[in-house]
Amino acid sequence: QIFFLLFFWLGVFLFIMEGRGSAVNTPASRPLTRRSKSYGRSCVEAPSYFWQTPGHLTVLKVPTSRGAAKSQLITNKVDPEHIALLVKNEWKLSYVTPLHHFRHTQLKSYSRHLAAFIAAEKQQGVAVEVGLEAGFKVTFTAVLGLAETDEDAETVFIQIQSKPAFAAAADAPKVVWRGWLTCVNGDPEYLRSLPSDFVSLPLFCTSGSESLTTLVKTWLERAFDCNFGSLALNSTTLNWLAALWTGCHPTCNIRHLKLAWSLPTQPPLDVSYTVNPQDAWELWNSIHPEESTDDKIDIKEVQSFINGLETHFFRHFKIYLSAGTLVKVSTALGSAHLDGKIKIGNSDYITTLLTLLTESALLKMPT
Amino acid sequence: DTVEAGTVVRGNDELERNMVRVETVALSKGLPPEVITVLLDLALSLNAGTANCTRVLKFLIPATVVPQEAIVKGVSWLCVGKMPMNAQVLFVRWVLTVFDLIDCKDDLRSIYGFIFSFVTEENLCPFICHLLYLLTMREHVHPYRVRKLLDIQAKMGRQPFLTQLLALYKVFRPDLVTLSLPSRVRTGFKNHNSTWKVALSAVQRKNKGAVLVDQSLSLDVKEKPSSRKRKLHHLAIPPLTSAFDSNSSKKVLRLQELRSFKELLENIHNIELPAQMGSLLGSALALHYLDCVQDESAFLRLNFWLGHSLQEETCGSLFHKPQDVYQSFFLPWFVFVHCSQEGFSSTESFLYKFLSVWDGCLLRPQILDLLSDIPLMPSFSVESRICFFFLCSVIECLNSMLVKWLTWHSVSASEGGLDISLNIMELVRFVGLLASEGLRLESCHVLLLNQTLAFYETVCDMFLKFSLPLIIMPPAGVFYPALFATDSVSVDRLGYIMYRYRKNLTLAKKQEQQREQTFHISRNTYKEFNRNLQAMVNSMWNSWWCVPGSEIEIDKDLIALSKVAEPWCRFDLIHHPALFSYAIEFHQRVSEIFSH
Repeated sequence: QIFFLLFFWLGVFLFIMEGRGSAVNTPASRPLTRRSKSYGRSCVEAPSYFWQTPGHLTVLKVPTSRGAAKSQLITNKVDPEHIALLVKNEWKLSYVTPLHHFRHTQLKSYSRHLAAFIAAEKQQGVAVEVGLEAGFKVTFTAVLGLAETDEDAETVFIQIQSKPAFAAAADAPKVVWRGWLTCVNGDPEYLRSLPSDFVSLPLFCTSGSESLTTLVKTWLERAFDCNFGSLALNSTTLNWLAALWTGCHPTCNIRHLKLAWSLPTQPPLDVSYTVNPQDAWELWNSIHPEESTDDKIDIKEVQSFINGLETHFFRHFKIYLSAGTLVKVSTALGSAHLDGKIKIGNSDYITTLLTLLTESALLKMPT
Repeated sequence: DTVEAGTVVRGNDELERNMVRVETVALSKGLPPEVITVLLDLALSLNAGTANCTRVLKFLIPATVVPQEAIVKGVSWLCVGKMPMNAQVLFVRWVLTVFDLIDCKDDLRSIYGFIFSFVTEENLCPFICHLLYLLTMREHVHPYRVRKLLDIQAKMGRQPFLTQLLALYKVFRPDLVTLSLPSRVRTGFKNHNSTWKVALSAVQRKNKGAVLVDQSLSLDVKEKPSSRKRKLHHLAIPPLTSAFDSNSSKKVLRLQELRSFKELLENIHNIELPAQMGSLLGSALALHYLDCVQDESAFLRLNFWLGHSLQEETCGSLFHKPQDVYQSFFLPWFVFVHCSQEGFSSTESFLYKFLSVWDGCLLRPQILDLLSDIPLMPSFSVESRICFFFLCSVIECLNSMLVKWLTWHSVSASEGGLDISLNIMELVRFVGLLASEGLRLESCHVLLLNQTLAFYETVCDMFLKFSLPLIIMPPAGVFYPALFATDSVSVDRLGYIMYRYRKNLTLAKKQEQQREQTFHISRNTYKEFNRNLQAMVNSMWNSWWCVPGSEIEIDKDLIALSKVAEPWCRFDLIHHPALFSYAIEFHQRVSEIFSH
């Protein structure tokens, strides 16, 4: 593995910028595409005449443009304590199909059941009374305020604390596992098409031991007839994050834009490319000026941005980064890895990140 | 029948004589219900002495039924507590042995609490647990009982009988108790009927009544062994569990409680859906029930589960699974989809993905059955590696699918149902393409040609047989291989097909002219037919098959290269290679006649 660390001075960067003309396809006119192309996911184009699956769901579209990242004092909407739970942990992502008969009013009952389930699984063959607190303490909390639209369901946070049998009464129980189910800015048509006894919280973030994660998933699957799968992010999502986060630099110092690529050589070459935030922002600003009245950012602009960064890298090292895959993006606002791992750095832009992730999760829903 | 009343206990010879007589009757014919009641009462009250108590119990073989009052009284004697322990154990074991012969269990269920209280007796515990297992209904499961059982479990350890009973409690009230049962944990009950088994079966055989079945545990509480091995794949049917927040006011039955199809039918309106819809694919009984489910959410859940399982499994890896995966996952799923009336969009999308990597061999009959049930999209392209027999089977499948569609149309069209003529047109065109391509690749193999012509036999009669005013000609890639085939069956079939086309077309034309109906056969169809007919007549009758300007015009020099004499006549009736055998036979017959 070879690490490349590049810190650009402003002057150098500007010089490169001027000679850019031919290197980057900066569109002459602002692409004002509000119309989003629909990428049909279903391979059955016409509905089958004979059999209609009840509740046949609408086809989800991949948006090609989205609004710029907006800062919002999320603490206005969400309890700061809850926010503190979400920030600064590394979360592993999964997607989950809609939950059947999940009720936000029954969270206490769910806590008891999950605790009993975990206790029963840990001691095979021994029955455990539900409600008896032993070994594990599970808490289900509703994190109100993260949901953006009317169709979004409220986020649910699950925490597992272990209470060893012989611990002194004064010992605080240790948190061994955390997870949360959320839906932020989910596609409203899709959410509306679900029957009323389903709750869609497609994004599941977990942090803790793998065995506990499996147990929690098994319990949720049995309780709500849902299905879990691991959510890997794709390069497009990472590109969006890079662009959106860079665009936030004026209002919030992103401190750096770190990109990690993996090139398919033998042995594979890992490239870590750190860009000075001001330079990154200037590049972004040249593609999508801040003063533009158009609030929407188009995918082509994001592509230009990434191309710009790649071209710059090529000029110095004669390596085509586009031959490899973008594996990780990180700024002070957070980081995202292709394997489906994220970190939330700053709560102010949490909605942007979660919107993108919710979208990725919804795209994985089986038709 | 002898009845004893108020006799003295010991040293009573009369008692002894009567006992012997009753015993002989019992062991030979079995005892009638009234006698059982009296005897049981006598024995358990210890009126006849302790020794006689066990003795009576040992020969208490019922002939027909056992009245439940006898049992209830017996339990009350048990509560009195004067019986020695071995007699108590014997009594409970006896109740278990004759359990199926008890006429009605309601009274027994109402004294559930009394029976439950004996669970603390260590010697009785295994058998009491078994009895409770047979009697328990949802309303019997209470928190204090659960707690009691858990206390006993804490004391006695993971005894299989306790685990079994607790598992049953979990089925009824998963909100009160939960446990995890991988297959390595032992569950089940001890053998109880050894004392009576031989005598009982002898009596039953004599009386020609139904033989008592062993109290087999139809409740499958064991889960699949997944705890130790990591899940290697996603194709697993989840275990049958009950939802824990179910509405407790309605009296519903869970699928795990059903023991037979008859029970399913009796309670069909009363059954609660399991927590995970996918688990219904795990048992035949549940599959039957699934057919009756009308709930939209239930189907959506099943669709999600099915789609998710298939999505997580990348298609390519499907061919490297162990055999039991196919058996345990695919077969029940295929059986279900094939038999059920509902189609699932996830099945269709899975099939399209699967077919693009399918080798034509894996689970062929099931896949082909599925193909004939679902509407097929024309984007399915023929891969050269798909084996030849698969192609034949596919066309056969599509033929049966076409027949199904046409039948449906002829039935429902009169009622103003959906118009599927576009679909049918697509299908026929698609098969035409498929067959042409296949015939080209396989050098007009006879079997493939046969299947194709069978398909067109269905197609040519669409108007006359199924009243669908659609006439579609076979493409050149099918027509000419049939015309110039080397086997007589294909040529004959082609002739028949052309004849039927003519009939259909003439009728259609007549109806059009008389303005009887609203459809219209395009001129092109007539032209196509005429062209085909001309080609046929030209080659077979006029000895002139290579017509300039026709579809099969071949350069004269090329034909000359073949060095065949008089190439023009080679496909007429006399010289056609397919009809060669008939020609020879004709000559033979003629020469035979002339030689006589």
